[in-house]
Order: sequence, then C-alpha cells, then structure tokens
Amino acid sequence: MIGFENVRKEYPGGTVAVEDFSLEIASHESVVLVGSSGSGKTTLMRMINRMVEPTSGRIHIDGDDIAELNPVQLRRSIGYVMQASGLLPHRTVLDNITTVPVLRGTGRREARTRAQELMETVGLDPALAARYPSQLSGGQQQRVGVARGLAADPNILLMDEPFGAVDPIVRSELQRELQRLQHELRKTIVFVTHDIDEAFLLGDRVVILKPGGIIAQVGTPQEILADPADDFVASFVGADRGARTLHVERVDGRDVVVDADGRAAGVLAADGPAQERPS
Amino acid sequence: MSNSATQVLFDAPGPKGRRRILLLSILSVLAIAGLLAAGLWQFHANGQLDPNKWVVYLRADYLAFLGQGLWGTLKVTAAAAVVAFPFGLLLALARLSRSSLLRAIAITWIEFFRGIPMLLVVYAFLLALPAFGVTFPRFWMLVIPMILVSSAATAEVFRAGIKAVDRGQHEAAAAIGLSRRDAMASVVLPQAVRLVLPSLILALVTLLKDSTLGYVVSYNELQFQGKTLVSITRYLVQTYLVVSVIYIVINLLLTRIALALDARMKARAVAS
Repeated sequence: MIGFENVRKEYPGGTVAVEDFSLEIASHESVVLVGSSGSGKTTLMRMINRMVEPTSGRIHIDGDDIAELNPVQLRRSIGYVMQASGLLPHRTVLDNITTVPVLRGTGRREARTRAQELMETVGLDPALAARYPSQLSGGQQQRVGVARGLAADPNILLMDEPFGAVDPIVRSELQRELQRLQHELRKTIVFVTHDIDEAFLLGDRVVILKPGGIIAQVGTPQEILADPADDFVASFVGADRGARTLHVERVDGRDVVVDADGRAAGVLAADGPAQERPS
Repeated sequence: MSNSATQVLFDAPGPKGRRRILLLSILSVLAIAGLLAAGLWQFHANGQLDPNKWVVYLRADYLAFLGQGLWGTLKVTAAAAVVAFPFGLLLALARLSRSSLLRAIAITWIEFFRGIPMLLVVYAFLLALPAFGVTFPRFWMLVIPMILVSSAATAEVFRAGIKAVDRGQHEAAAAIGLSRRDAMASVVLPQAVRLVLPSLILALVTLLKDSTLGYVVSYNELQFQGKTLVSITRYLVQTYLVVSVIYIVINLLLTRIALALDARMKARAVAS
C-alpha cells in the first residue's frame, strides 16, 4: 500500500507543483494519475521512489516512511518504466533487463535465466536478447523497458507515460499486453498519462488532477463517467461534448450501440461484461 | 557527413554559381601548381634536386638513424599518453565532483597547464628545477611536461564528453536504482568515452607533435635526430622533408585508426 499524506512540492523560486495531496493506493491496485501538463502528475509519481523529494508531508509504503529509507535501495525495490524506454544504449537487451537484479546481488546466470522468461512474458522474441536497443522498434524497446521494470520482481511498478512515444496501433497493443500482465502479476501500479482513454482502459481507479496536483475526482472509470464531480471533469473526460454518450439503435432486430457521431461502436449484449476487476 | 553539413549550411549553387566555382577552382589549381613549380625551380637552381642528395635516404645507416629517432618519438608519446589520458579523466571527474575542494584543485590545475606554453614547462624541468637540486633523466624531462600539459587538455575533452551524454541517461540510471557512482561508471562514462574518442586521437596527434620539443632537452626523438643529421650532412631541405613526411604519415594513420574505431562502435550502439 502506498499512502500520500498532505504532500506538498514547492520549487525554489516559488513554483508550486503540488499544493496539498493525499491519497491511499491499495496493494495490487492499478491507479492512473491523469491530467494535462502542469498538473503535477509526474512529480507525484516520482516522489514515490524519491526521484523528487516533497517539501512537506509524508509518503509511506506498507507503513514505512520512505524519507527514512535509502533512496538507492528504495529505487531498486520499485519497478520504473519511463517514456521513450530510457534504455542504456551501450548495453544489450539482456544486460539492460538484468541491470537491477545484478545490482541487488542476484547471480548473473540466474538473472539471465529470469530475463529470458521475462522477455517471453512481455511478448519479446528471446532471439532479440543480444541486440542493442537502437536495433529494436519503438514498441519492442518499450517492452524491454517493461521487462526491466519487472526484473527484480518488485511489488510496485511506476509507469511514466510509457506508451506516449509509440504509434497508436502499437500503443493499443501494448495497452492490451499490460492489461494481460496485470491480470497475471497483480502488481501495485501507478501509471501517469495525459490520455483519458488510456486512463479509463488501464486504471482500476483514475485520479483526475487539476493544475497544482489538486484532485478533481477519484474513482473507478464507471463512477467518473456516470457522475463527473464538476465541469472540469466533465470537460476533461469529454462528457460535456457528448463524446462519451452512446445511443442504442435497433438494426435488423438487434441493439446496435452508436457513438455521438452515429458510428457503430458495438452490439448491446443481454448481460454485462464477464471481465473480472481486481478490487 | 561533411557533405550533409554543407547542404544544411548553404543552398545548392545554380548554373551561374557552378560556372564561377569551376573557374575559381581551375585558377587556384593553376596558382598552386605554379607556386610548386617555382619552388622546385629554386631547389633545382640551388642544386637541391641533385639525386645524390636524396638517395642517401635509402641507405640503411641513414634509415636506422632516423628510425632510432622515430622509436624515441613513439616511446615518448606512448608513455605520455598512457599516464596523461587516465589522469585527464580523473581531473574531469574531480572538476565535476560535489566536493568544492576537489573542484578547486582540478580547476586550478587545468587552467594553469592549459594556459602555459609547453616550452616553458620543459624549461622549468631543464633549467629551474635543477637549480634546486631536482633533476630527471632526459626521457622524463620531456615526458613529464607532456603529461602535465596534455592531462589538462584531455580533462576538458572528457568533461565535454560527460556533459554531452543525454540528461535522460542520468535520470534513467537513477530511476532504476543506480547510485551516483554506479551511474557514472557503467552508464555515463562508457558513452562519454565513445563520444570523445575522435577528440582523444586528436590529443594523441598533438602529443606526438609536442614531442618535437625533445630537441630542447636533447632527447633522441625524430626531430632531434633530424637536426643532428643536418649538422653532419648539411642536407637541410632533404632531411626535414623526409622527417615531415614521416610525421604526416604517422598522424594520418592515427586518424584512420580513430575513424575505424569510431565506425565500429557506432555500428554497435547508437544513443537512441
């Protein structure tokens, strides 16, 4: 469990990135922080592994105040996946994935075996192990980034706009893969994005942020769509433009769901989705 | 590469421009050829092209004598480089360190030896230090000044390289849990050294040319051997031309090695 208690971040010079933020994130939950630039979403996430130190307030993980932990040890215990993968260009894919386990004292052979397994888990051809990052496509690099984040088997995975730099087709592929992975691994995931669709797709809970890290609304995607807290949220999720409104039309005796522009979105089924959601 | 740089900086010339460029090229080639011919004519008029004055450089004893000088030059350069380059790297790290004392020492060292002509440092070892009873063998009277001056220059090369590594790489290294030292040793430095490799070879070429100051301390490097040869044979033009060609060939070889190394490392890993 990750807890923020009245966290504030003010930069020298007076810019306030986060005014006063409190939130509890349950274990095995995936929470998406979403907001436009300047909303403090990345700052908040980077506080969890002490890449950014709060000016005041406390953050604790499973009851431990992280300010009392060694930052380097802390970071090795938390998986981190960043935008544009952040891979080390002079090391092979396999060496990139094994970096953290080897630093934590896992034997090189064991780390390599585990890295091979992880490559399959994230959908990478093990034949790519000896390649350098520049020899991979953007989507493959991002998969390596995820594999590296998972390499030390952390309980917590931080993801900083990991799919922001890949094309839309690869992005939706990676999003589906992440859903599948989360279903298997059940990590505590904190995910940052500015894309509300991505947030609704990947978050058990979504935190919509206003500038200054002010929480506009927290809830499941269903709750937010059903009952936007205010005009800001309604506008952010597109509810005010009718973009989220679907209508049922009867075609050849079946209920077809169409969106605001009249394009077919799907067919209405008698019962709800069979998908189970981790709570 | 220079081709694309030209394309970025200048418009492609039109037909008029191309004619003008062609005309100027022909004129310059003619002018250079004319100057060379005039020079050769002067040599001829003074009897410098006399074959007897040149064939001696095919004699084994002449070649051995110059070869001895070449060996001295290579030894001095190698010894200076082997110490100066790692030392330059340490100076660069000290200049970038968080300790203000280390920073101050490094900055003083670098600025002092970068600003002072190497000849003065050689004189210090040849004339000033012996006055205080400190003397070195000739080899070290040349090599130590080379190390002092070159370490300051290469420190700045390394510093530029470290600074040129993408900020994101520092960030990425920190985020996955590398300590400052680990990040420097296994992420930043390998990339920085690759970036500055061409500049390092250039520093090596400079070192090789600085070794010609060996004549000041009478160390038997190539230039000094050439000077001795001249005083014996009086073949001044011929000797120094041969010596120059040897220097140019070695430096060309060094440059080629640098380019080959650079291409190989680029093929392996390019910063994404």
